[in-house]
Amino acid sequence: MSDARVQGYAKALFEVARAEGTLDEVEDELFRFARSYESSDELRTALSDEGIPAAKRQAIIEDLLGGKATPTTTQLVSMVVGSGRARELPAIIDKLVARASSSKNLAVAEVRSAVPLTDDQQARLKAALANATGSEVNLKIVVDPSVIGGLVATVGDTVIDGSVRTRVDQLKSRL
Amino acid sequence: MNAVVATLFAADEPIDPSRSTHWLFPVRAELLFGSIASILVFAVLFKFGWPLFQKALTDRTERIQSAMDESETKLAEAQTEAAEIRSAAGDIDAERQRLFTEADAEAESILRDGRVRLDEEIAELRAAAESDIALIGSRASGEIRSEISMLSRRAVDRALTGQALDDATQQELIESFISKVGAS
Repeated sequence: MSDARVQGYAKALFEVARAEGTLDEVEDELFRFARSYESSDELRTALSDEGIPAAKRQAIIEDLLGGKATPTTTQLVSMVVGSGRARELPAIIDKLVARASSSKNLAVAEVRSAVPLTDDQQARLKAALANATGSEVNLKIVVDPSVIGGLVATVGDTVIDGSVRTRVDQLKSRL
Repeated sequence: MNAVVATLFAADEPIDPSRSTHWLFPVRAELLFGSIASILVFAVLFKFGWPLFQKALTDRTERIQSAMDESETKLAEAQTEAAEIRSAAGDIDAERQRLFTEADAEAESILRDGRVRLDEEIAELRAAAESDIALIGSRASGEIRSEISMLSRRAVDRALTGQALDDATQQELIESFISKVGAS
């Protein structure tokens, strides 16, 4: 899929969410769904399989998000999957998040952690990253057990890695 | 003695002219004829005997001279031959000395070449042995390092597999991260 098409979908989703007045919530839900999609082979296979009818793939989305996410989020994901663009869903959502953050003059800060962060921790981390990068950030927390411990923050091209996984990898590399 | 005695006792005897009164010289006639006869004899001897004698003397001188010349010639020849022999002996000595010198030089050269080759072979063997030792050591060291690395990685994986960090540690790591990022 071309970058222009990804941008087009992202813009469309962004405009729908903003029109519905749920941009922040939808953006956050889509971001988490995209990370789940990336981490689940089964989900990727099910949603991107052209052999499975679109209605059935959309039904899977309904089962997954129905009642757990806003209707707007569910409908947007269902729309993308029904259009046969499930493979590009993470890219589309990342563009959407970037566009939403940009509209608020924020930089997207994706933080991976082995365990969920408390609200207080998120607030302090947000302030710390803003201090470190020199710009306000739109914090996106991804719970990733492969991190083992600590955090990995990515802000644009800057990666701040304080994860146990990286230390273990470095130790294994030295060994 | 008898003549003196006879003279002493004969002083009183009468003088005989046919007999000389001198104890040494004869009477004059006898002396004259005797002298002439002697001169004749000497003349004949000088006339006929002297040339023979002189010839014999000359021949003898010539023979002696010839013998001396021959001796000198033979001596010269002998000396020449001796010189040749000495020269030949000297040449032989020189040749022998030259051969000895050449043999010594060749032996020295062969020995020197042999030593050089030996040193080179020793150096090559030593280098090859050191290379082999280094290779074996390196290989063994590499194998040991690889084995240690593999075992260490397995140990790390085994230690981490299925063992999540406890909550306190997780929180400590998160707080540490926030503090470090905020301080930077």
